[in-house]
Amino acid sequence: MNKKNLYGLLGVLVIASMVLTACGGGSAAPASDTESEGPKVTSTGFECPEPSPRMEVTSTELNIFVWTEYFPQDMLDCFELVYGIKLNRDEYSSNEEMYAKISAGGSSYDLVQPTDYIIGLMIRQQLLQELDHSKLPNIGNFDSGWMDQSFDPGNKYTLPYLGGTDSIVVNTATVENIPTSWADLWKPEYAGRMIFLDDSRAVIGLTLLTLGYDVNTTDPAQLEEAKAKLAELVPNIKVFDSDSPKTALIAGDVDLGMTWTGEAFIANQENPDIQYVYPTEGPILWQDNWAIPVGASHTDAIYAWLNYTMQGDVFWLTIRDFQYTNPNKAALEYAKANQPDVYKAYADSPITNPPAEAVANGHGIEDVGDATPLFDDIWVEVKGGQ
Amino acid sequence: MLQRLRESKSAQGTLLALPTTVWLFVLLIIPLILTLIVSFGKRSPDGDVIYTFTLDNYIRLSGYSTDCPDGQTACFDPLYVGILGRSMSLAFNTTFFVITLAYPLAYFIARAHPKQRNMYLFMVLIPLWTNFVIRVYAWMMLLRKEGAINIIIGWVMNLLNIPFTPLEMLYTPGAVLVGMVYEFLPFMILPIYTSLEKIDNSLYEAAADLGANAVKTFLRVTLPLSMPGVVAGTILVFIPVMGTFIVSDILGGRQVILVGNLIQRQFLDARDPTFGSAASLILMVLTLIVTYFYTRKFGFGEEIVAA
Repeated sequence: MNKKNLYGLLGVLVIASMVLTACGGGSAAPASDTESEGPKVTSTGFECPEPSPRMEVTSTELNIFVWTEYFPQDMLDCFELVYGIKLNRDEYSSNEEMYAKISAGGSSYDLVQPTDYIIGLMIRQQLLQELDHSKLPNIGNFDSGWMDQSFDPGNKYTLPYLGGTDSIVVNTATVENIPTSWADLWKPEYAGRMIFLDDSRAVIGLTLLTLGYDVNTTDPAQLEEAKAKLAELVPNIKVFDSDSPKTALIAGDVDLGMTWTGEAFIANQENPDIQYVYPTEGPILWQDNWAIPVGASHTDAIYAWLNYTMQGDVFWLTIRDFQYTNPNKAALEYAKANQPDVYKAYADSPITNPPAEAVANGHGIEDVGDATPLFDDIWVEVKGGQ
Repeated sequence: MLQRLRESKSAQGTLLALPTTVWLFVLLIIPLILTLIVSFGKRSPDGDVIYTFTLDNYIRLSGYSTDCPDGQTACFDPLYVGILGRSMSLAFNTTFFVITLAYPLAYFIARAHPKQRNMYLFMVLIPLWTNFVIRVYAWMMLLRKEGAINIIIGWVMNLLNIPFTPLEMLYTPGAVLVGMVYEFLPFMILPIYTSLEKIDNSLYEAAADLGANAVKTFLRVTLPLSMPGVVAGTILVFIPVMGTFIVSDILGGRQVILVGNLIQRQFLDARDPTFGSAASLILMVLTLIVTYFYTRKFGFGEEIVAA
């Protein structure tokens, strides 16, 4: 082949690839499907429920900033299909990461997913907008036990998404003596075999619990004691991971540690030897929430999303795909009636459906206001000092 | 106007340098000044910057403290100095291993047939097509307890009937070193190759004519003439390794804390931009000092331009 032919061939290839990309872009645009009749079906064959009620929406985009591995693909796809809105999703793996990005300003997110304890700080910093309850007809779907929490009385700023616990996770096949308390994790036999969440408040919190203190203490002397105690534990921890702690557990890189509900549930399904143990001092309880940051621009799409995902026939997908404790009673009822297998797996698992005494014994992390720097410094100094 | 521009060399120069100058001013000088200002500030409990003038952040970084547990008047906490030292020694080790691996390969490519040379260079560059972070994650798959390396060693050991317990490689400082060496290897190969390739063949012939053997030729001709490439590569490797935090985060399991991690954490986890700024500036000053002494000894390495 001479040079001229080669260039000709290259040219044809370039044009062909451009044509193909253009076609791909066209067919992927969800907007074209909204007018067509009949039920909308996702790529996995899931038939999307109609929105009820259908909200008036003119926006074509919604930008959400959410936790990693937390959303059923069908739920995301269905929202795009039924409303013809392009959903843009960015992810984070710690509240601090999310907070840094939102407080830096200039981001254009419509919805974020702060956990309980960071909400007070976000409200104080005027980073959140008040919710318009008149635009939330489906708000009654939530179990009242998850509403009106101390971090946001009257749900002025937030709505629940999912909740869960931080507790002990252990591979019973490789660990001889199963730990039953947070304090047990300090035992030398577990050194170098543990995974912990990279979550300052939870890890310092459980350390405080082993000393008999409150997880939200602001007493500098108690925190100083916790720092010394935590410094003994940190060298024994092999890895801190909040992105996907189940991976190291399933792969056998670590044998035990602390993680949260959903990761433990999936690890347990992959390997039934991996068990979730509620410590005698009590697990850490938490709740993730929706909130609208200041500067959000697609208000109509925000409320369309909130109402649509609050529907029982939509939100049950989280019970199927991301097994955390579910605050939406309509979703639980829907699953119970229509998806008995999914419901049974959820309701029968002590991981997703924690026993009442574990919940009663649990500890919620709260905003500590002026004591925040004490927690921050402990975390940086303890983790940096090996 | 145009006529004047055509005649004036200096006006042309100014015009050509203008875009870069503006770029550097807006995106380097101004942020640096802001960092400097913030580093003298204090944080509020919520993590806002209170603008004032205090050296507290720098004093904290040095480890000097007057608030001591045992009632002493002054004490020294080596935490942050230790992190800086650890980063520095990792950067030196990485650079050393990168040179050791890159030099023979660059030599091989430079002495290859010109037709194959481009092919080899192309192969050096292929890994760069994949995202930096994804390449680090790939090392996770190789290094983990049930990863590829342990499986292969286990299989060989099994054939030889030697008992084998999987090696603990992931989440160790060694894993971080391996990841760093891998990531920065191409940045050493290319400048060394460029200087080796430029060496005139007649110099080797002259060396042979004058009775030098292979070793002598290498030591007296090849090595000195390729030093600019090594120097340039060292600068391109050493400086980024000092500040990188992704490799130690992923392969070190967030347990190997380098100065890059320390800085990143101040801005995220700890919400203390003032201390983070102070640490950034100290890192920059340290890097500048090391680079300054290095380049004063070895020259700046003209290949940095070619690379």
